[in-house]
Amino acid sequence: MRARTLWNLIRWVLSGSVFFLVWLFFSSETSLFAHLLGLAGAMLISALTYRVFLADHEAGLRYFFPNPIWVVVLIVRLSWSFYLSSFRIVGTILGGPCRPRIVHFRTRLKSDLARFALANFITWTPGTITLDLDDDHLTVFWFYADTAHRRLAGEKIKEGLEGILGKVWV
Amino acid sequence: MTQFLLPLIPWILLAFIGITLLRLIIGPSLGDRLVALNVLSGLALGFLVVQGLLQGRELYLDVALVYDIFGFLGFLAFAFFLKNKSNGDNP
Amino acid sequence: MNPILFWAREVLALLFFLFFLVFGLSGLLGLFRFPDPWSRLQASSVTSTTSVFSLLTALLLIAPSWAMASRILIIMAFFMISSPTGSHIIARFLWFSGLPHWMPEEKDKG
Repeated sequence: MRARTLWNLIRWVLSGSVFFLVWLFFSSETSLFAHLLGLAGAMLISALTYRVFLADHEAGLRYFFPNPIWVVVLIVRLSWSFYLSSFRIVGTILGGPCRPRIVHFRTRLKSDLARFALANFITWTPGTITLDLDDDHLTVFWFYADTAHRRLAGEKIKEGLEGILGKVWV
Repeated sequence: MTQFLLPLIPWILLAFIGITLLRLIIGPSLGDRLVALNVLSGLALGFLVVQGLLQGRELYLDVALVYDIFGFLGFLAFAFFLKNKSNGDNP
Repeated sequence: MNPILFWAREVLALLFFLFFLVFGLSGLLGLFRFPDPWSRLQASSVTSTTSVFSLLTALLLIAPSWAMASRILIIMAFFMISSPTGSHIIARFLWFSGLPHWMPEEKDKG
């Protein structure tokens, strides 16, 4: 019971500080009154809603609280592949080759949020669009399919993204 | 240098929107029209943000944020409706 | 402001404006050159994602105040979720409507 109370307290403070950060971003005022008002409002709202945002059990924290160092790595990696594949699409528009296909493959990621993020970022880079995500099975429309082999296609589409996402969210 | 470039951006975006409207009108199938609508929503978001920056009002950026969040809900409703309709036509 | 920082911001913003122009124009070109909705969706994702995202990055770089910069940052974060969702919905609609996708010059069996 004690551990449970402590965990509830941690949940309240964590979500409240995130709300306060958003308040700082949005108001961007420097007066002390604005800071105090924002802090009070954030704590009130997080007391009402902390059950929604963080899981009941402490073990669930790693499942959706991202690891901040690897988030930076993810953003750098993502913007690099984003512009690279955009240039590839531009090359195709100006007369380059392409082989559109629908491929299927599996993912090794465990948590739902990480799988959702993988599907989202596959669609985010031009050239690949996720059609379906069923448990750990992805259906992807791929514009440059050079293979129909399942595992090879999966490795080529994910190329390192899955590893980084696994470090961000488990 | 960007101060001189910034007032040109809304006109460029308007030209892009005009070209996309052409696709929306002549698009032979429903899928083409949906694709053109997708492009339109992205360009409209860019237009709102540029206008907010040009006028120097943060309120416009809030409008752009809400437009961004609720933009795809409209798509979802649209695609759902079309799917149901085509199912009803040939069961 | 520090002049080096000022010029770095200007040059980076100009680079991203250039990206915006190039990707926007080529995506619109692809919208008219490609033969079917599947590949037009790919071309349109260049316009509606890469080009608009480059524009937002450039505007973030030259934003005059913190209030605006933070709002643009939050818009970009939501754009990273809402834009793939839009193309996913359209692709799913095409998939369920059973439209076969374009297969250019079929030489080998796939």
